[in-house]
Amino acid sequence: MFQCRAGGPARLSSEGKMQAVAAKETLFTASGVEKSFGRTRALADASITLRRGEIHALLGANGAGKSTLSRVICGQILPDAGDIAFRGKPFSIRRARDAIDAGISLVMQETSLAPDLSVVENIFLPELGRPGLTRFGEMRRKAEDILSRLGQRAQLPLDGDVRALSAAQRQLVEIAKALALESDLIIFDEPTASLSPGEVERLFDIMVKLRDEGRALAFVSHRLEEVFAVTDKVTVLREGRTVAADVATAKLTQTELIRHMVGRELSQIYMERAPSSHAEKPVVLEVENLKSAPLVRDVSFGLRRGEIVGLGGLVGAGRSETLETIFGLRRRDGGWVRLNGKPFAPRKPAQSIRAGIGFVPEDRRRQSIVPDLSVRENLLLAHLGAHRGFGLAYRQRDQKVRELLDMLGLPADRLLDASMLNFSGGMQQKIIIARWLMLDPAVILLDEPTKGVDIGTRSSIYAMLRAIADRGVAVLIVSSDFDELLGICERVVVISDGMSIADMPSAVLDEEKLTLLAAPRTSMERNVRFLRDLAATYRGAAFWGLIEDEKLFCLKVAVADDRASPGFGNGAAVDFSQTRIPAALAAAKSQFVAEAHGKLNTLIVDVAGSRGHAMGAAGLVLPCDIDPPDTARLAAAIQAHYAAHD
Amino acid sequence: MAANEMIGIARQAKPPRQWLKWLTARLEVRMLLLAILIAVTLSFASPYFLTTINVLNLLDQSVVVGIVAIGMTFVILTGGIDLSVGAVAGLTGIIFGLVVPSLGLPVGALVAIVCGGLIGLVSGVLISYFGLAAFVVTLGMMSIGRSLCYIFSGGISISNIPETLSDFVYTKVAFIPMNVFVLLVLYLLAYLYLGYTKGGRTIYAIGSNAEAARTAGLNVVGYAILPYVVSGALSAVSALLLAGKILSVDPLAGNLLELDAIAAVVIGGASLFGGRGSIIGTLIGVFIMVMIRNGLNLMGVSPFWQGSAIGAIIIAAVLVERLVSRRGAR
Repeated sequence: MFQCRAGGPARLSSEGKMQAVAAKETLFTASGVEKSFGRTRALADASITLRRGEIHALLGANGAGKSTLSRVICGQILPDAGDIAFRGKPFSIRRARDAIDAGISLVMQETSLAPDLSVVENIFLPELGRPGLTRFGEMRRKAEDILSRLGQRAQLPLDGDVRALSAAQRQLVEIAKALALESDLIIFDEPTASLSPGEVERLFDIMVKLRDEGRALAFVSHRLEEVFAVTDKVTVLREGRTVAADVATAKLTQTELIRHMVGRELSQIYMERAPSSHAEKPVVLEVENLKSAPLVRDVSFGLRRGEIVGLGGLVGAGRSETLETIFGLRRRDGGWVRLNGKPFAPRKPAQSIRAGIGFVPEDRRRQSIVPDLSVRENLLLAHLGAHRGFGLAYRQRDQKVRELLDMLGLPADRLLDASMLNFSGGMQQKIIIARWLMLDPAVILLDEPTKGVDIGTRSSIYAMLRAIADRGVAVLIVSSDFDELLGICERVVVISDGMSIADMPSAVLDEEKLTLLAAPRTSMERNVRFLRDLAATYRGAAFWGLIEDEKLFCLKVAVADDRASPGFGNGAAVDFSQTRIPAALAAAKSQFVAEAHGKLNTLIVDVAGSRGHAMGAAGLVLPCDIDPPDTARLAAAIQAHYAAHD
Repeated sequence: MAANEMIGIARQAKPPRQWLKWLTARLEVRMLLLAILIAVTLSFASPYFLTTINVLNLLDQSVVVGIVAIGMTFVILTGGIDLSVGAVAGLTGIIFGLVVPSLGLPVGALVAIVCGGLIGLVSGVLISYFGLAAFVVTLGMMSIGRSLCYIFSGGISISNIPETLSDFVYTKVAFIPMNVFVLLVLYLLAYLYLGYTKGGRTIYAIGSNAEAARTAGLNVVGYAILPYVVSGALSAVSALLLAGKILSVDPLAGNLLELDAIAAVVIGGASLFGGRGSIIGTLIGVFIMVMIRNGLNLMGVSPFWQGSAIGAIIIAAVLVERLVSRRGAR
């Protein structure tokens, strides 16, 4: 499943290991660390050893104490007990400044940026805490340098306010901030949570580079595939204790890791998919050519009763904005939405809610939780929004509240808790989903429903979504985790740069194909231009796609001469026999293959991206009356094009 | 905060220790204890403090600031602020004084209250619909209101208020004067509104997290305007009761009333960021302020020192609250 993302970094990390074998100086050790907040014991007996030239994964379910331990390491939290040594000497950190001065920095999970300062100022925020003059010119140059190293110079307006940045851009500022400190020890606390796969790869490149420079890196993540892709050692926490210390990543399997994390075996986190029998079910929600400037440009899809459909794509592709437009939080500039066959144009959320649509936004803390209202009132908030009348009518829902509590596994007295913020991220999310189930919606839209939720709770959220769909609710999910998208959705609509470019059953997709489909338009445009040039130069047809099990999955095709048309179009998933070039597809070797019908001559070349991961195959189809050009040179040129930018 | 518990839900019987904890965990209870402490201290300091006459006097002095503080609580719960209440009270008092000879008492009072509400509506629309800062809009309104006071009145007090208003204000209802009765009824209505209606809960939700409230379909714009309308209308009500008490309206009436009202709300435990606070807390805050003023008077402390005392109490109350709730939160 993960070849696409994991292939590259794995290769790099083995190279790195060879270099690092020579000197692995221990930089930081912590043992017997304890920390309690009130009656909650966050750390009971935690330990970790970080060495120069190593990327160390810190793993654990939510609430296991990963974040607390990483904040102890960087001095933001004082431990109640425990020994900490840094550079071989006992180290007592009294305040965050001590850690910064000592060369420890943290790239945080919840962004800690000053929204009203510019990007440059934020990157050098710790510098502003030091005495002396601030040289803005120098800061700018250094910031540019760091961002170019990240390969993100074009992504961030240096003088723009952080307030205006997207979640992914803010994360990049966080990373740049840590790099600006030139720290020896950098802790990455879920840095990839809001990055797209391309950005994750770039981050891993940088992490590997930093490691090879001899720094010690700690990497906190929920995503196991990332741990396998980039880390050398693993420490696992469970309920505040270190249950596996300093294990070489290569010696572990995913199942072993999960067993360490949850203390039991998770046979399957995704529910069994019901056989797709939705074709005859009525379409509940239809979206046609939806447009909402600037991010949603042309989105169309349909959603049937009882179906779980995913909106896949990269961060910033316009997926969240599509949901917000359907829900009436964002102005619709064009296109239609039909609900149960009737035109539906909400101007505000209350209208969508009354029409039977629920919406779970991405950022729980900012868009869902009302911290000063009790758990009960938070659960009933959408009811209050839908309710017409002067009073509250909470009692009408008492029965439903009890049912939902059963489903959530929440004792009734927790309803009176004054704040939702005391619950784990997973429970918070379940309560927010239940807030919408309260209204028995026909459609529920969820944006990144498992963001910041640990694996154990994730599976229960998946089960919950499955159960909702089985009751006939149409479920639409946005997720950046392609593995999750394929695991729970029956169908995936891929959005790239504000346009829906594919709509196919999960069964014919995998992470690799999704990544390819979701590739941003800029690279797609380059590839289209390349294919078009190729077709025009040789007066034939050129295509790019994936070949697998007698099937071709066409991403793009350019035809310069109709006689050379391969017999399939953009986005098609066809059997070899349905095309005009079955022999060439079956052979798939880097030389021209003539078809049995004697009309076409086809060259198919496997292509790979800049980090060596497979990008499918590119092909050139020529009519037989044209003499094939120099095969080897042509194949090399095609491969070079794909390797140049992915 | 308060209303979490107000919302009816089957409460399990709690063991005594838990009851105690539940009680002290509540801001209003702590504030009430503080108020009682102050009352006891003052009664030792001055034997006159706890006499019936002085208690009635205390209640009487609480009326004007108390009624304005209701509107201020609504506004502060949404995360806003209303600096114009004093000026609106002054202006609506002058308007009342001008129209009452020709329109009569009931219609004149109605005109004043409607004018107060309209001024609040303008502020509310500018703040909520056009997204201007509440501080700036109401500061402007304060300036305009006070200036209109002088223009309408010609700079002098109007003292042709019919004596029937004074009779009304001091009619006894169940042993308490009408103005105190009005104060208590308004507090009861505000308590019910904030705790038990869609609008009241929406006001809390807006102050706590407006974006979440909007996503859940609540009418965020409308219920952010309403508190300013309530605040303006109640400023007019307090102006009427004040006019009934002294039988004249003055262009300077209600000067600095906004500061007393904000102080009462803050002492009562509301957060200026919105979402947190209660109407009972505000009432206790009003009593604490009035008791301290009255106590200092009785002890013969120079009025010049009263400002310092009130200021110190505000800061101390907020500081203690901060320290206590921080301990409780961890």
